[in-house]
Amino acid sequence: MILPLDLILLLFVFICAIAAITVRDLLSAVVILGAYSFFMCLLWTQMAAVDVAFTEASVSAGIGTVLMIGAVSKTKRRSKD
Amino acid sequence: MKILSLITVVFVGAALIYGTLDMPKWGDPHSPASTHVSPYYLRHSLHDAATPNVVTTVLADYRGYDTLGETAVVFTAGMACILLLRAGRKRRGKGHV
Amino acid sequence: MFEFIVSHYNYWMYIALMMVGFYAMMAKRNLVKKIIGMNIFQSAIILFYISTSVKRGATVPILEHAHEGHGAVAHAAHAVDVMQYANPLPHVLMLTAIVVMVATLGVALAVAIMIYKRYHTLEEDEIMMSIRRG
Repeated sequence: MILPLDLILLLFVFICAIAAITVRDLLSAVVILGAYSFFMCLLWTQMAAVDVAFTEASVSAGIGTVLMIGAVSKTKRRSKD
Repeated sequence: MKILSLITVVFVGAALIYGTLDMPKWGDPHSPASTHVSPYYLRHSLHDAATPNVVTTVLADYRGYDTLGETAVVFTAGMACILLLRAGRKRRGKGHV
Repeated sequence: MFEFIVSHYNYWMYIALMMVGFYAMMAKRNLVKKIIGMNIFQSAIILFYISTSVKRGATVPILEHAHEGHGAVAHAAHAVDVMQYANPLPHVLMLTAIVVMVATLGVALAVAIMIYKRYHTLEEDEIMMSIRRG
């Protein structure tokens, strides 16, 4: 655990979360959510939880993003808010 | 609606922050979570399962039934997805006929 | 005071993250946005649990010197320094929670696709209007 790295990664995660819920284009929101998952994965590596980190990188950032892109491509891409 | 949910969020966040004031310090090696049962796993996992990775040992050996339940959850979720998506397809097919 | 902030600021950051997800679940009207909010909320909770496993100066919970012959294994069983490794138990529980999170995500997206097929929109207010109209 390294304190400045932890702060910077927490800040990036927070910015990604805010961006993912404010962007109106749903595909961009999903891709930003993938970036959020990878920053989360770095945060967990920094906390010495490597097993959780690679599960997150493969399952949540990989399969989750693919599922959401599939859902967005089957429905509408534009969002009103 | 937005104002109402913003007020709710602020109140819930304040209540949770009030709850964290009693939490142990971040990175404290003597916190209750790190002193109860996890030293047993760390000491005995190599002897019991001959695996150096303690997380894997706990996941598959000490708490194998937990993982079995997780597999059941994932199976149920997959079945629910398949049934939901196939039901939609069938209804549309009937509509065409 | 400063030490208290340094040892607790990440709990507050997790709560801020959790509240971002909670706000998205309540205030956003698009269903995919709601699902994104749910994902953020769950990740924040998992982050909180993982943070209870951190020990200052500890490494990854993979035992060192494990493959030095069987005699060494039997001897090493009681020689493990517990403070040297991070707490493995929250990692295991959250490993399960991540997989369950993705299962929830899949079911939620399938329901959203079904709603889109039936009402041809993902906005919650339009769906409610369409239901009220009959």
